Amino acid sequence: MPKIDRSAAATAAQCRHYAMCKIDYLATGLCPSGPEKHFVTYYPQGRMDLYRGLAEGRVPVTEALLDAADTCTLCGICDGQCHFVTGMQPTSVMRALKDAVEEHRREKGEIVRPAEDETLRRLRAIVGRDWASNDPAVLWTYADDPFPLAGPQLPLYVVLPGSRDEVAAIVRLANERDLPYAVRGNGGSVFGFVFTDGIVLDMNRMRGIEIDLPNFCAAAEPGVTSFELQQEAFRHGLRINAAEPAATVCGNIVCTGTFSTWSNVYGTAADNFIDMEFVGRDGRVFRLNDKAAPNHFAFEHRVAPSPGICTKAFVKLHPTTADEEGLLVPFEGFDEAVRFARELGQRRIGLAVAVLGAHYIAGFLSPDETLAQDLKAALPEALGVNYMVFLTGDSHAREAVRKMSPAVIDADLLRTLMLGLPKLVEPQWLELVRGYQGQERPYELLCRPEMRPLVEAALQPSPETASSCVPETLRPLYRELYRRPEMTDMVWLNMHRIVSARMSRRKHMFAFLVYLPPDNPAVIHEILDGFAGVARSHGIDHDFGFLTPMDLGKRAILEYDYYVDHTDPAEREKIARALPELDPWLDRLAERVPGVMSLKYVFSQGCSRKDGFLYRV
Amino acid sequence: MMRIGAEELQERRAAGLSRVLITGGTGFLGSHIAAALLKAGCRVTILARSSKRLPARDRVGRLADWFGLEPAARERLTVAEGDILDPGWVVEAMNGTPALGRVDEIVHCASDTSFSERKRPEVEAANIGGLRNVLDLAARSACSFFHHVSTAFVAGARDGLCREEWVESGPFTNVYEETKARGEIQARDICRREGIRLSVYRPSIVYGDSRTGRTLRFNALYYPVKAAVLLRDIYASDIRERGGAKAAAMGVRTDPDGRVHLPIRIEVGPQGGLNLVPIDHCVEVFMALREECLGGGIFHIANSRPKRIEDIVGYAERYFGIRGIEACGAEAFETRPRNALERLYDSHLEAYRPYMQDLRTYEIRNSAPALAKRGLACPEFNEDVFRRCMAFAVEAGWGTRLFPA
Ligand SMILES: NC(=O)c1ccc[n+]([C@@H]2O[C@H](COP(=O)([O-])OP(=O)(O)OC[C@H]3O[C@@H](n4cnc5c(N)ncnc54)[C@H](OP(=O)(O)O)[C@@H]3O)[C@@H](O)[C@H]2O)c1
Ligand code: SF4
Repeated sequence: MPKIDRSAAATAAQCRHYAMCKIDYLATGLCPSGPEKHFVTYYPQGRMDLYRGLAEGRVPVTEALLDAADTCTLCGICDGQCHFVTGMQPTSVMRALKDAVEEHRREKGEIVRPAEDETLRRLRAIVGRDWASNDPAVLWTYADDPFPLAGPQLPLYVVLPGSRDEVAAIVRLANERDLPYAVRGNGGSVFGFVFTDGIVLDMNRMRGIEIDLPNFCAAAEPGVTSFELQQEAFRHGLRINAAEPAATVCGNIVCTGTFSTWSNVYGTAADNFIDMEFVGRDGRVFRLNDKAAPNHFAFEHRVAPSPGICTKAFVKLHPTTADEEGLLVPFEGFDEAVRFARELGQRRIGLAVAVLGAHYIAGFLSPDETLAQDLKAALPEALGVNYMVFLTGDSHAREAVRKMSPAVIDADLLRTLMLGLPKLVEPQWLELVRGYQGQERPYELLCRPEMRPLVEAALQPSPETASSCVPETLRPLYRELYRRPEMTDMVWLNMHRIVSARMSRRKHMFAFLVYLPPDNPAVIHEILDGFAGVARSHGIDHDFGFLTPMDLGKRAILEYDYYVDHTDPAEREKIARALPELDPWLDRLAERVPGVMSLKYVFSQGCSRKDGFLYRV
Repeated sequence: MMRIGAEELQERRAAGLSRVLITGGTGFLGSHIAAALLKAGCRVTILARSSKRLPARDRVGRLADWFGLEPAARERLTVAEGDILDPGWVVEAMNGTPALGRVDEIVHCASDTSFSERKRPEVEAANIGGLRNVLDLAARSACSFFHHVSTAFVAGARDGLCREEWVESGPFTNVYEETKARGEIQARDICRREGIRLSVYRPSIVYGDSRTGRTLRFNALYYPVKAAVLLRDIYASDIRERGGAKAAAMGVRTDPDGRVHLPIRIEVGPQGGLNLVPIDHCVEVFMALREECLGGGIFHIANSRPKRIEDIVGYAERYFGIRGIEACGAEAFETRPRNALERLYDSHLEAYRPYMQDLRTYEIRNSAPALAKRGLACPEFNEDVFRRCMAFAVEAGWGTRLFPA
């Protein structure tokens, strides 16, 4: 076994499987081998897993492992992509992997070459030689994710279909040979649902997008990610309600239905698509809108199986206007922030709307975790901000918001704050704000238009200032990023959702989502206290995530997050003890209060009409 | 509850038996009083809260280091963790926090010193409710002497001579003054009812040590200076490093001699000034009164020579290499309204404005004999003192580097 570099192995184990290295979200290009080979094994994420597997003695050196190591050019692209969201720099792992492989070759170590069996031969007959594998190193990269409650589950085969008909043929083959199968959208899941000891279908080759302008429809194949579809919609001046950037559109719709801060206007679940195409369990193809198709629009209050494998989503495109901008409205208290957000929903003001806590705001804005922690402390302590209502809206909406709440952080001020963030948290400046004794709240002072020149002089907003907090080697990249207007544009950032992936930078994150009635503060507090109480009793890091009003403010979706280091056995133990306490509690609450529904029940029913789970009549 | 008389108290003090409980012992005045009492050989219990970063005991320990307390003095010090807002604490304290032991005297310094109306709930809770809890503790313990640290500004919004008398009603400038005045009356009534001796100490504005410049707080006197220095630094670096466009837009420039020209007009009245007392004097007076005035009373601790803002502006300009700050009458702003710099600066001064042109004078009669006996007089706040204090402020990063990391 090759020598292992412990620090590289520790980095490899921290990979969150967020698959942000599989989308070109920073416009820096992609890992060169990924788009050519398509297996996750050939993306940085796969290589991280390979190294972790080597370190833990779980993968042998195989042909594919050698190839994955050899095809890494050490170009460094993944450093930027990964650091942007997790703060890690994977190239040290890539270098260690290449070193290990070199050493193995020098020592003339064994190289595993598994033989082709009958199933693999038939899979290859369907998809072509290159697109099906039983190489143990490839299988390993499809066996595990950071979900700490399940161990790795090695499939027998990984197959990458290139078309709907190939998908159907694979399903029929699996049925014939009595093999279970699982679909992986983007080779990553954080809840451990995509593993099987049979066949894994990786949809990475099916990446077609067709924009149908007259029908305001974007048809996406199952390998298309939310980021990519949004990017395409954006090119046409349109927008989709997008999931997390690296999540595939089809996978996300089928799984939970797409929800985001834009669900305030775009809704969720069946609201987001015009039609969906599936390969059913029997291998037959159907469309949801066919009258003869099984009724997946109806919601069943139980954990239900998915309609099948989605091979195309006909996603709704929404018009945009050129005057859209983002706004942040600071609040001291949670209840006032929720009231405000709900009112926006009710009055149909704005597009995306969310109540965010200091934790999210700080995490989103800061390219570096230490800075995020400083900002998280400074927001309440120095500025008196505990929550902010984030919204995007056209000029009319923003004018209305300013009338409702005069102290707002507009697009311009936010850009200044983002580009001057390291200066904002400097102690002498914060000390001064902290000592401020005036009648206004400190943030009201900050938001006053006539303060702008001074704020600018103090923060020295610039790509240079903003990038000063990241490691030296990454500063040129960050300077370049911050020079692009979209990187400080709340509308662009929010619709592409690239900064929200920073939430799990600190640790692996468990997001709990609950639909609830936002006009009932007592229930909201019961939910917050419930999550906080369980977390506290098990010593788990936890925080409020966000709350977005939906359906004209009658309902809202709330996220609460637990944070655990998935590589630490003690932390895994804690979460394993905590999780079973949450379900019965939430179930009882849902029983009692109309409108309360854990997202857990929507799993696999993301195509249903939201009315089925938001209301109970 | 039987309480000991003055003589017995003096005996217990002399024998080193008596124990003083100090609330607010992690604060500016409280910590200085605690250190003085410990150095004088007293046994002291400090009531302290834990902060987010440090447990109560460590907060007090850090202060003990700051004061350079000898090991012997530290042995006489105990820390009781508690929050005066929590009535349960009183009960708990009574039912045997072993650290507490028998308390003969209480020095009450804990207080919320915010001025702003939006903080009213917190200020009322601390200065009325919290005080009430401490008085309850006094009533239920053997405490025979309650030392209540109040403020000269209970006098409220008025001009002229303020006497060392109870203030029964307003008007008050802000919630701080109002609650401090109500607090005094509350202390008076409960102490009368319970037969506890009461001294009320009313300092004006307390700043650092006039001899060493050392301090633990950088508010009041320091705050406007700190704001001006920060503005100086912001614009100086803009001029030095980025061509100075932002500075120019505000009319800020560096003069050939290197001084930074900050065109800021500060509104001041034709009369009045800042009533400043250094912490060393404040503590010495407290110690003298505690020993000499066993009958209790109301005592102003103030300066008979208030300082004009113009003088302080001059000191600050010279010390910090600034020019252009100008004290003007209100009419100046009618002809030329405030620019952004002035509005910002003004909003930071707003809360302090009533104290910057204080037209009140504070009678110092009740303490006069004790002060005369000990030869104590309030030091003048002159340029030397200013420089010492600011040198320390800069060294301590205006409070950000007070303690070793
Ligand atoms: N400084 C002046 O210029 C001045 C002038 C005149 C009169 N005074 C009076 O002097 C007294 C002390 O003022 P200061 O300047 O020393 O203020 P400070 O430095 O702010 O100290 C206030 C103290 O009160 C404590 N405290 C506040 N709320 C508390 C609570 N709920 N439970 C326990 N402790 C609590 C604080 O504890 P933490 O450290 O845990 O927050 C701190 O120790 C006040 O009564 C004030 O009115 C001060
Ligand atoms: S360094 Fe290697 S793994 Fe990372 S992007 Fe470049 S080729 Fe891919």
